[in-house]
Amino acid sequence: VTEEPTFEAAQKELEEIVHRLESGEAPLDEALRLWQRGEELYRLCKDRLDAAEGKIEELASRAEAAKP
Amino acid sequence: VKVEAIDYGDRRVYSVGAFNRGIASWLSRLPTVWVEGEITELRRQVRWASVFFTLKDPADGACLGVSMPRGQFDGLRLDLKDGDRVHVYGRPELFEARGEFRLRALSLERFGLGEHLAALERLKQKLAGEGLFAAERKRPLPFLPRRIGLVTGNDAAAKRDVLTTITARFPAANVLVGETYVQGPRAPGAIIETLRALCREDVDVIVLARGGGSFEDLLPFSDERLVRAVAACPVPVVTAVGHEQDTPLCDLAADARASTPSMAARLVVPDLAELLQRLDRGRAGLERGARRALERERRRLDRAHERLDRAPRLLLERGRARLEHAGGRLRALSPHATLERGYAIVRSEGAIVRSGGAVEPGQQVDVELAEGGFGARVEETR
Repeated sequence: VTEEPTFEAAQKELEEIVHRLESGEAPLDEALRLWQRGEELYRLCKDRLDAAEGKIEELASRAEAAKP
Repeated sequence: VKVEAIDYGDRRVYSVGAFNRGIASWLSRLPTVWVEGEITELRRQVRWASVFFTLKDPADGACLGVSMPRGQFDGLRLDLKDGDRVHVYGRPELFEARGEFRLRALSLERFGLGEHLAALERLKQKLAGEGLFAAERKRPLPFLPRRIGLVTGNDAAAKRDVLTTITARFPAANVLVGETYVQGPRAPGAIIETLRALCREDVDVIVLARGGGSFEDLLPFSDERLVRAVAACPVPVVTAVGHEQDTPLCDLAADARASTPSMAARLVVPDLAELLQRLDRGRAGLERGARRALERERRRLDRAHERLDRAPRLLLERGRARLEHAGGRLRALSPHATLERGYAIVRSEGAIVRSGGAVEPGQQVDVELAEGGFGARVEETR
């Protein structure tokens, strides 16, 4: 089991994949594999951002409630 | 001096003269010192060899008889009046004939306000020369002291001002009050002792406060020992002594100087309400910052995702186009296309015939055309 990459690492890998795909250098098989990996990374990053947004909302409402 | 006693059986008894001589001899061994006081009861007669006056301590009224040779006294031309402040340099002495103790003056100086100020100025120069008042010695005051020491008089308005202001600004402040003498000759020692006692109680900062008073009242705050103690205090000291225009020397040695006791209080504790407000603003900024960062990452991710989704289709289209191109070229290069233009391929026994010499008259050949073909016989060769 590989460790989950950090958000930054996942984002970086995703962007590298996009760049490689756009350059057209990858053979078709590899391109398909890269695309699949890219989608995985996108999902992972999006989940992290959604979680972060949830956390912000929670903290903001808690801070609001704690106001004297 | 040998003092003779008379023995009456088991009792040793001194004559008055012998006793006085003994005391006088003992007193004469004491050192010559400076004594400060106010002149009262000045008695001077042309036929007396000495002038006499009484030195009075303005702080507690203690009195001391003084004598001075008349010629010497007159030579000073001091024109002294009752109440004038003087410094007398002299030695204790017993006037043996009357058993009266007094100070035998060797020298006498008027010590009025001017002299006083000059002496203070000299002390100030000396301490400044030692770097006691240097700006780089000043320590920053703690932002939020865990405990504040307050040195003040026992019923001083200064104390009330400091405490009220501290409590108003920061209700939870922990103040340890050290009450002490803030006036008179005992004040410097007492204040120094109180400073040390507060330091032992782990205060983070000390306020030394005293309300306004006369020049004399504030003198203890220019006492060299106190000024040095303030400079050497292990925690920062804020002074608020007297009014704005007074600058006792301890103000110069302190880490911060306040014009009034309540100003001193403002220096040592932050205003809680203002602090909370600032904290609130900080938190709002924090939330905005977090949201902005989130939005930025989201946009960046969305952009990458769009491009990712587009990439394989783009790749496919590009591949297809390349394939079409290759197919076109392939078709262009095939021999069929040549035949279409009216050429024919002649084969003899399966091999392509490229020259007339490769066949003989009467030989059977196959001819391939764009559409179908036919067999033929060679008529002649060229």
